[in-house]
Amino acid sequence: MNELYNREEQKFSNLLSDLKKLPKIEAPDNFEFNLMTRIENKNFGQVEEERPKFNLLKFLAPSAAVLATVLLFFIFYPQKNDIPTQIANQSKAADSQSIAGNTANKNFESLFSKEEKKSSTPKREAVSQSNQNIAQNPSAVKSPAQFNQRRSVAVDDYISGANSNQNPALRGNIVNSGDQPIVDGFLVEKKTDKKTIEKFRSELDSLKKAQAKADSLKKAGK
Amino acid sequence: MVKRLSDLTDEVLIKEYQDSNTLEAYEILVKRYKDPLMNFVYRFVGDRDVCTDVVQETMIKFYLNKDSYRSFAKFSTWIYTIAANLAKNELKRRKRRVIFSIDNSDDEKSPQIEDKMFMAPDRAADSEIKNEIIQKALLKVKPVYREVVILRDIQDLSYEEISEITGLAIGTVKSRINRGRIQLQKLLKNIYKE
Repeated sequence: MNELYNREEQKFSNLLSDLKKLPKIEAPDNFEFNLMTRIENKNFGQVEEERPKFNLLKFLAPSAAVLATVLLFFIFYPQKNDIPTQIANQSKAADSQSIAGNTANKNFESLFSKEEKKSSTPKREAVSQSNQNIAQNPSAVKSPAQFNQRRSVAVDDYISGANSNQNPALRGNIVNSGDQPIVDGFLVEKKTDKKTIEKFRSELDSLKKAQAKADSLKKAGK
Repeated sequence: MVKRLSDLTDEVLIKEYQDSNTLEAYEILVKRYKDPLMNFVYRFVGDRDVCTDVVQETMIKFYLNKDSYRSFAKFSTWIYTIAANLAKNELKRRKRRVIFSIDNSDDEKSPQIEDKMFMAPDRAADSEIKNEIIQKALLKVKPVYREVVILRDIQDLSYEEISEITGLAIGTVKSRINRGRIQLQKLLKNIYKE
């Protein structure tokens, strides 16, 4: 390796000898005098103070903070695009509530059918199925929500159109109970079928009759 | 027999200056290093007045920061490091000044060595002119290469010392010296015809 460098040096021999022959520059005669005068007078003014080293983290901190704020704003601020998903969630919840309602009715029926000693297997299957639905979707049996005062809405203003300039996202407060996510728009309410109402009424009537019969039998027994 | 301060080595003198704040020790070290540093800085910067200022600043830094010298290092490499850093800063400052200067003439940017290269060979042989041409060519070499070439070929420092001064590995120092020499030889092709 050293030989290689020696060979390299030979290649530049002329240049190297000329460089070595360059005249030596000497300090001016008053160099030391000037230096010692500066030291005695404490004239160090031109000596630069060492600058603090460049720190990438410190340099990027303000911009990172701004970026984080902007990101958080976009993540948490309710977007218009979010509203369809919220509506979908609400309709899902409404569906599961109706399932829960059906399940309750069916439980009620099965309770009384035991009394009447008219047990039917398909109904039991239906009950167990709907219980599974409840287990999968616990929001179906959610307790009625507390009304949130912060989300209170002046309905009269909406009717008169006085607050049409307000944030459209707040219109959702009219239809939800307050703790639900904000919904822009109204859910289409499905009208109850007349047949279903009559069916439930007849069931309730028959239950009442059965209850009355049971009571009269008890009285007769006494 | 008590040794005179001027007979002591650099390392002993700096130790004396650090421990007892003996100004005489400082003065002796200034006397020893002012000329080698002047030569090094002049070859690097190419301006005598600027060079004097840089060496003065080097000595002031040495005076103010004597405690930052550690005894395991050679004094010569320590003082050369200070001078080299100040010289590099000066070059950067000058570069900035040239960029932002309003009356920024082209003469300032290039040292115009090309004109002199096409002189008659008999004139080029004249040693004074030759030295001037070499100095101007040296200033055209990239500063990273120039620094090591000056330290090695003009100041006669060893590769180890240059490695300590520049903070580079010895291999890097050697390759930079080689590249610097190649650049210099290319710039001086009219003098060194093969």
